[in-house]
Amino acid sequence: MSGRVSLEEVRKIAQLAKLSFSEEELTQFFQDISNIIAHFEKLRELDLEHVSPTSHISWSQPPMNPDEPVCWQGSDLVLEHAPHVAGRYFIVPKVVEKEEKLS
Amino acid sequence: MNLCDFRNFTIRNYQDLFARGELSPRELLSIFLQRIREVDPLLHAFLFVNEEGAFARAQELEEKGKDKDTRPPLWGIPVAIKDNICTLGIPTTCASRILEGYVPPYNATAVERLEAAGAIVLGKTNMDEFAMGSSTENSAYGPTRNPFDLRRVPGGSSGGSAAALAALEVPLALGSDTGGSVRQPAAFCGIVGLRPTYGRVSRYGLVSFASSLDQIGPMARTVADTITLFEIISGRDERDSTCAPYPPFSRTEIPHKEEVRKMVVGLPREYFSGGVDSRIVRAIEEVLKGLEGEGLTIREVSLPHTNYALEAYYIVAPSEASSNLARYDGVLYGLREGGAGSLQDMYFKTRTSGFGVEVKRRILLGTYSLSSGYYDAYYLRGMKVRTLVRQDFEKAFEECHVLITPVSPVFPFFFGERTKDPYEMYLADVFTIPSAMAGIPALSLNCGYVDGLPVGLQIIAGPFQEGMLFGLALFLEEMLALPLPFPEIGQ
Repeated sequence: MSGRVSLEEVRKIAQLAKLSFSEEELTQFFQDISNIIAHFEKLRELDLEHVSPTSHISWSQPPMNPDEPVCWQGSDLVLEHAPHVAGRYFIVPKVVEKEEKLS
Repeated sequence: MNLCDFRNFTIRNYQDLFARGELSPRELLSIFLQRIREVDPLLHAFLFVNEEGAFARAQELEEKGKDKDTRPPLWGIPVAIKDNICTLGIPTTCASRILEGYVPPYNATAVERLEAAGAIVLGKTNMDEFAMGSSTENSAYGPTRNPFDLRRVPGGSSGGSAAALAALEVPLALGSDTGGSVRQPAAFCGIVGLRPTYGRVSRYGLVSFASSLDQIGPMARTVADTITLFEIISGRDERDSTCAPYPPFSRTEIPHKEEVRKMVVGLPREYFSGGVDSRIVRAIEEVLKGLEGEGLTIREVSLPHTNYALEAYYIVAPSEASSNLARYDGVLYGLREGGAGSLQDMYFKTRTSGFGVEVKRRILLGTYSLSSGYYDAYYLRGMKVRTLVRQDFEKAFEECHVLITPVSPVFPFFFGERTKDPYEMYLADVFTIPSAMAGIPALSLNCGYVDGLPVGLQIIAGPFQEGMLFGLALFLEEMLALPLPFPEIGQ
């Protein structure tokens, strides 16, 4: 555990998370996250080598459901509240931006 | 009938008045709506009041429910729903700009079950944005105020539900608890809140924050009403694969008074050491003396990893959140900004303008914990500590039936008191996080007042042992005989 995060790393994770910040905001988040991560250092006191991780708590056997398709009737309502639709399609900005050669 | 008459009411009392024809669902609704008009401009517990829909529903119930013997258990009872629980045709914003105007095309299972039981959705309650916070100060629509003192926070994130109950704007409510979001506001507002065993209530329709921790929880003014709510919303749901395949909770699981007297109550010493307001410790010690006097056995126990749970939680929960919140991209629902530019432009602009500061902070924290090179150091380590926290509880429950702890180390704090340093705010959940990490049930109950502010007592039990919690909570409620909250708002 390094216990330190750099401003550049915060800039990079902001990109990954699709969030943009001014330099001032970025510096503030950098400070906040550095402070919080410094507290995580405490976990180094524990010997965790032989401990198995718990990703999910399940106190019961997960149920098995029959694999039967069910028709859901709410699709009109979904489209009604979508930001931009045409007919029964969601409209999004152009996804393919550069002309690519088809080989 | 007027509001003061309802101060000590449980659902049973309303049902009796309905049955005797002395009150109708529409009359009851009018009384609560009048209360909301009077006090909610000061409290801001509600983000949306479903006046029109609620009246239509009350009328429909009255027409269909003429035969009083066939009325379902919550017939005509208004209920408030936290704004991260989907309600068909009623806005659900998670107190975020990114979901402003979003109207779900379906009901959460819990809401569906409440409606099937005859309840009326009165409105949606305020919260910290996406349930990330402990004070409602992170709501994009402004905070809720504590009915006991308007200068103080009501707790969070289910602060709107808790404040609405304490102010008697509504008799029942749903909240959600990821790290303490039902129990801490219940404590701050002097009402009852339950975090169920993970998997006991369906999460279908609960907007995801940290999926391995999120649970919908019942909130009410009395233990009896909390039990009624829990009976209705719990039980298997095929639409949530993490929901346990068991029938709904039944009150036959609650031990009788004589069995409660034989209980062994564990006191985890880590919850009573430094950092807890001494007046809170004293209030709880008083209660323990009372319990001992009634014949219960009190035994000190140790949960040695308690002091690591908070850090592990702030790795695990933001990691899951950063992944869950990736869905807010402006494509399918909610806010869209920059739609005229490129796809990347739209993603950045939508998310940057839609999310508030705390949500962004947690997304960054989670993205960092999960990023290549840090996964082992943070997320994996967090998950391992989670195992230790869970084992601590398993061991403790070998020698006692339940645990008693404070809900919060502090009294309701003032607005702005903990917002400067995010970690200070995180510390508010230090006693509610470990049980959430272990996925076990815990209940928050008012155990007294200090200088006019309520003190919350937490009872924790093993998985699926909600009956134990209710048994002891009913016992305590009777033993303490505290007046139910009815604070003078704005005095």
